Amino acid sequence: MSRSDVLVDADWAEAHIGQPGVVIVEVDEDTSAYDKGHIPSAIKIDWKKDLQDPVRRDFVDKTGFENLLSERGIANDDTVLLYGGNNNWFAAYAYWYFRLYGHDKVLLLDGGRKKWELDSRELTRDVPERPRTSYTAKEQDASLRALRDEVVAAIGKRNLVDVRSPDEFTGRLLAPAHLPQEQAQRAGHIPTARNVPWSKAANEDGTFRSDDELKTLYADEAGLDLAGRDTIAYCRIGERSAHTWFVLHELLGLPNVKNYDGSWTEYGSLVGVPIELGEAR
Amino acid sequence: MTADGCGAPAGGVSVSTVAGSLGTQAVVEGRVTLQGEPVGTGYARLLGSGDEFVAEVPLGDDGGFRFFAAPGSWTLRVLAPGGLRAEQAVQADYGQVTKIEVAL
Repeated sequence: MSRSDVLVDADWAEAHIGQPGVVIVEVDEDTSAYDKGHIPSAIKIDWKKDLQDPVRRDFVDKTGFENLLSERGIANDDTVLLYGGNNNWFAAYAYWYFRLYGHDKVLLLDGGRKKWELDSRELTRDVPERPRTSYTAKEQDASLRALRDEVVAAIGKRNLVDVRSPDEFTGRLLAPAHLPQEQAQRAGHIPTARNVPWSKAANEDGTFRSDDELKTLYADEAGLDLAGRDTIAYCRIGERSAHTWFVLHELLGLPNVKNYDGSWTEYGSLVGVPIELGEAR
Repeated sequence: MTADGCGAPAGGVSVSTVAGSLGTQAVVEGRVTLQGEPVGTGYARLLGSGDEFVAEVPLGDDGGFRFFAAPGSWTLRVLAPGGLRAEQAVQADYGQVTKIEVAL
């Protein structure tokens, strides 16, 4: 697996608009941006309505994922190109999710919606119609997802990468600074975690930094033992850490990297678990 | 906004979603214009010392943006198509709404 197998640029996307076998999908939590204009031929997936179980805090199950992709006209042998706003957070989450359910032909658009907009490329309001398919998903690949007990057991034993902003990591803020600050959970971070904000992996236009820059960031600057230890990435709800999971697992090709999608909204609400405040120790 | 969301809607989250008073929030908000007209496509980024990224919101149709920062000194940077950009120093404090007009 290398960068070119998983990441494409806007020229590639433009050349594949409307091509058979390629489905372009915009993914976001707030899909109003799609409704105002999207890449021609792109369909949309709503991170919350389509990918989250409406009752339990969990994914939609295998049958639900099969129904979603069948209804959107995505076939098992289609190449799915994902992009979105928020510097591709939710598109990276969807990428991780597609891989969890065994869809291997999936790509991420470097820079996502932001670079496309800043480059003044074409956006349309036309919504494509795709004929229904009969999609078959695989069972969830547990090697990509960390659950809470595994995270607690990993304290001091594995690399824990907290990808939130420094103020969220130290406990000054409970949410990113574009959101009102909640009071429901405890602030801080998981003991022994290192803080490598997702934003350090991205350039200003939302594209990923080079492989060499990324290796320097995680191994040299953050001091993570990437070769000797398995890694778990987390944030607040698991989408920024999906961005970092994509960097570590897909771009840098590290084998044992999991995303903890329960993240701080789960961990910071657990009774009895250790929490650290302030800088990393 | 509740724990089940994390994204930044265009223009930023409305202050009307804040539970209770604004006394615990340090709001930075404003509008971006070009030759007097709102810039509806672009991004506002809040940066800390050393250009450390803090948060980003896409501009609203009216060129608006809003952040809920920690108290302190920040830099606001705006990016827009055509390579347009601007930067301003910002001060945020609890219980205050700091308003900024950015002309590209």
